[in-house]
Amino acid sequence: MIDSRRTVVFAVFSFCCLLSSARLVRDAPAPGRFKASEIALRSDQRFAALKAALPSRGVIGYIGEPGNSGLADYYLAQYALAPLVLDRSSNHALVIGNFSASSSSQASSHDFHLRRDFGNGLLLFASEGAK
Amino acid sequence: MALTVAVVLCLASGFLLVCLSFSRQRPLSSDLLLKMSLSVGFGLGIFSVVYFLSLLLGVTRLILVDFTVFTLFVVCFLLFRTSGTSFIRATRNNAEPAPRSHSLLATAFVVSLCAAVYTAIIRTLAYPHGDGWDAFSIWNLHARFLFLGGSHWRDGFSPLIPWSHPDYPLLLPAAIAHFWSFVGHDTPVVPGIIGLLFSFSTVGLLFSALSILRGRTSAMLGATVLLATPAFIELGTSQYADVPLSFFVLATVALLCLHESRVQEDSSPNSSGLLALAGLAAGCAAWTKNEGLLFLCTILLARLLTLIRTGPPSLTTIARQFAPMLVTIVPALLLIAYFKRSIAPPGDLFSDGTTALHKLTDPARYWAIARWYGKSFLRFGHWLVIPGTLLLVAFYFAAGKTVRKRDLNQAELGLRASILALGLTLAGYFAVYLITPYDIYWHLRFSLPRLFLQLWPSAIFVFFLSLAEDNSGTPTSGADAAGRCL
Repeated sequence: MIDSRRTVVFAVFSFCCLLSSARLVRDAPAPGRFKASEIALRSDQRFAALKAALPSRGVIGYIGEPGNSGLADYYLAQYALAPLVLDRSSNHALVIGNFSASSSSQASSHDFHLRRDFGNGLLLFASEGAK
Repeated sequence: MALTVAVVLCLASGFLLVCLSFSRQRPLSSDLLLKMSLSVGFGLGIFSVVYFLSLLLGVTRLILVDFTVFTLFVVCFLLFRTSGTSFIRATRNNAEPAPRSHSLLATAFVVSLCAAVYTAIIRTLAYPHGDGWDAFSIWNLHARFLFLGGSHWRDGFSPLIPWSHPDYPLLLPAAIAHFWSFVGHDTPVVPGIIGLLFSFSTVGLLFSALSILRGRTSAMLGATVLLATPAFIELGTSQYADVPLSFFVLATVALLCLHESRVQEDSSPNSSGLLALAGLAAGCAAWTKNEGLLFLCTILLARLLTLIRTGPPSLTTIARQFAPMLVTIVPALLLIAYFKRSIAPPGDLFSDGTTALHKLTDPARYWAIARWYGKSFLRFGHWLVIPGTLLLVAFYFAAGKTVRKRDLNQAELGLRASILALGLTLAGYFAVYLITPYDIYWHLRFSLPRLFLQLWPSAIFVFFLSLAEDNSGTPTSGADAAGRCL
């Protein structure tokens, strides 16, 4: 009697746990159909060419989408270009512009000398007047 | 090849450190799962500290340092391994024939383990740079600065990058950078594997500690609940620091309880090695995340309060209970203090004292946080249908009167202190939310489920540890008691 009741308790307990294990497996990415890592696409791969044109250390400026909406892009750029420090400000001799391809024309409103357009909204500016 | 050498040195150093604290009367192979699980965390902790100190001192021949550290551990192991007349008991029910219910539980445990291993590996492959903001904006970013920065590695802790939380301590980034220095480049494989190791060593630690203290049934129950917590496996493979922190919190709690168990059995105070290791685990928690620093304070306070509650303690008792822990905690605190004072900018949470005081007097904030605590209690694990917290509550009531009658033994200082410490840590989190400079709902939404997960393995551990006791007073599986009373 005791054993059968214990079995019921364990069965219910196990069933509840296995439900969540099933969710874990269901929500996992399907093997063999992995998309390219979004973080890699938006950081290391996107900034590879630009990185070669920048000093390896120090602090440079960064402009992109303003406010919190551009925060993820900024940190992905920072991740890609470390150990270079990106200051989210234009007050630097070198400034990178990180825009979506369609909105890269926003950069023209800034008073910088465009040094190189890396395409896809990625720009490198020089600002002689900056500190 | 270089990575293999690094992994062997890391795990072997951790293993020797762990074995230093265990009785020499037992063979090295005893309680192997417990030692192996602890070795992962402590090995990575050692690697982290070695890398950080090497950076500070400008040492470039890292492999020589690693071999020197390893040799030192070998020498210490041969000379100073803790002696003792006995060790933690083997539980009775391990030898009992498994009834049908145990087979059922064992099957559920194996299935949930397979599901967790499968998902963890798939997620690690699918998200090589982690899954979520913190992986690339905090932990791996700091690791890149440490590894790629050369003599300018401190640039990574510039206030110009505020959302990267430059005041967060370095256990994870420095350990990652240490392995990268062996590989020669910043491959995302390293943080991915470290995430896997921490996730499953936490499960291994929970299983082995419960198995030693309460038997296989409790161990399987506890480990199954943890393995079936989707958010735990997802977060562990997201390359965040919350699961590593949960490992060290659980290690502290489990080692304190193992220490008490040994003292009770042995009536010998000579188990200071386990106390020292528990102190080191708390120190590693503080070196992992700022929340770990809170936990370190609460575990010390909780131990002191629990000791006082059992009667006015003599100075000798206090010294015996605290000195071994402080021997390992103090160096960890010195390291953290140096990092916080000399390298990291001030944290973002305690910047404005006046506003913080004003917020403390606002009852609406208390109510908002209490509601979120209640909501997250049921939601934080991302369970399907039945929340794991409710499942444990239901199990408690299903276990019946025998379980509920159980009163913690006066001598169970470790368990009492652990429960109190977890409660105080939750209270500490509550206080931080009260004074947060950010929008309170935003802050709660993005951090509270992770904070709960940091304590979840330890909560499962103390739940099953405090659940049951047989008629003779010998601790045994909660489920066994459940079965008896049903």
